[in-house]
Amino acid sequence: MGMTNKNMLHNVFLKSLRDERWATIWWVFGLGLLAALMMAIFPSIQGNDDLNSLVESYPDNLKALLGFSELTDVTSAVGFLNAELFALMAPLLFVIHGVILGSGAIAGEEGRGTLEILLTEPISRGKLVIQKFAAVAVAAVFLALALWVVLVVGALVIGMEVSFLRIAAATFSLLLLGITFGSLAFAAGCFTGNRGTSVAIVAAVGVGTYFMNAASGIVSFMAPAKWLSPFFYYNAADPLANGLNPAHAAVLLSASAILLGAGYLGFRRRDLRV
Amino acid sequence: MDIAIRLDGLTKYYGKQLGVADLNLEVKSGEVFGYLGPNGAGKTTTIRILLDLIRPTRGKATVLGLDSQADSLLLRRSVGYLPSYPSLYGNLSGHEFLTYLASIRGGVHWPRVTALAGRLQCDLSRPIGALSRGNKQKLAVIRAFMHEPQLLILDEPTSGLDPLMQAEFEEMVREVKREGKTVFLSSHYLPEVEQLADRVAIIRQGRLVAVEEIQSLRSRALRRVEIEFAGPAPTEEFARLDGVSNLQVYGNTLRCDVAGGLDRLIKAAARHTVMNLKTHEPNLQEIFLAYYGDDQQEHVT
Repeated sequence: MGMTNKNMLHNVFLKSLRDERWATIWWVFGLGLLAALMMAIFPSIQGNDDLNSLVESYPDNLKALLGFSELTDVTSAVGFLNAELFALMAPLLFVIHGVILGSGAIAGEEGRGTLEILLTEPISRGKLVIQKFAAVAVAAVFLALALWVVLVVGALVIGMEVSFLRIAAATFSLLLLGITFGSLAFAAGCFTGNRGTSVAIVAAVGVGTYFMNAASGIVSFMAPAKWLSPFFYYNAADPLANGLNPAHAAVLLSASAILLGAGYLGFRRRDLRV
Repeated sequence: MDIAIRLDGLTKYYGKQLGVADLNLEVKSGEVFGYLGPNGAGKTTTIRILLDLIRPTRGKATVLGLDSQADSLLLRRSVGYLPSYPSLYGNLSGHEFLTYLASIRGGVHWPRVTALAGRLQCDLSRPIGALSRGNKQKLAVIRAFMHEPQLLILDEPTSGLDPLMQAEFEEMVREVKREGKTVFLSSHYLPEVEQLADRVAIIRQGRLVAVEEIQSLRSRALRRVEIEFAGPAPTEEFARLDGVSNLQVYGNTLRCDVAGGLDRLIKAAARHTVMNLKTHEPNLQEIFLAYYGDDQQEHVT
């Protein structure tokens, strides 16, 4: 432990990962438990036509808000995983995880005053931003990997007929969504230096864009709004059924890159807070 | 390089609020330079500009021949910085904290760290979060000194240190000076810099008031003296002395402010039987009074 510990203090990236090690373990544990429970109840739902007709009887507006498409068959493997996990619960958790880490990366250290120590060492602000962001992204990757492993193992155990590659596609899409909101929180922290402000901004954008996407399926004049919502690019192409949509994935990746770049520019030019 | 720090018309506004205005200053290489001023005068603002934590509104700062903004990264290799209220990583031990910063620096000579910790009696194994203010301050001192920087920038360095450690710290500063390095020492408290500094700048409300040799500053400082005599205080005799002002008498006790050294006063007092004599270190307020003359004095008193 001593040796590993010392290696984890080698640079800002490793130290930031190290700081999140317990939080990451708890997140992995919680998300894994949720996914395992979902897998455990699937055998009792599979092929249950009553449930299907119940869901089909939901008003279309409700289905849109919950992220179900009109074709969703909740008793099929793909329909079940989408409805129970990928439509609402998992994206919510990945967004929250991204926001906590993203807002804490620069603004968190600035609020605690330790950024003044770091930035009076010979490390450039650009290098600091990249290493801090890399730690946020890698922590999200751990979370996505854990989810994939639990789903694959769960599917093997209960004999669920689902492509592991498609699960990987859906989980990767989830990861990109988390990183997009993580980047937004990171950039907001870079500009404001205030963690609370950063979280507030992302919460507003997150709720707003979620409903922009949901409403686009309900109200016809809202239809174009979905193009502005990360949630659309995350799951509209249904990667669990159809595999990853490269164009949609590219939009989320580009958005993250742009936010990161903007965050750096904002951070580079401003005064550090006392 | 003869000039370690050079400020040219350095000005900083926080929005509309003035931080520092039009500072022009040269700190020579190899000197210990005191930067004195009351809290909020702009000392920390100046230092934060030197380290590129904040950017000047106008003017520029040159440190070790390098531009404080353009060459900040290079400059920080050669500077050791002690912040006024250092925030360290509470979840790390002292050892881990110094290991981390040393790694970012690209490594330091570790025996030097161990030696500094020994001198300051700093236990590096305990988590920083559990340390007292004084022990945190020691860690911050070690981190400022550990890479043997060409220039030390120390903001209120001895706050939180007990007298024994203050003495050790002063010895460390003297050693660094003997090695030919430069020390920029900021404080609101004259005794902290008086023992160490060759020259002193006084800053007040964001402006430089004076830059002087420590000797001449001391001689201009007002010092409050209280003398208790065996009999009634010989008021007349003292009132006539040069440099004595603000004379008050309470029974056998005489109080006054003295400028320009105590010699005349002591010699006058020696002609009488003195029961007790107290002097107070001149504080900044008194030095400012000396600089601002009588009209200012009336406003304050």
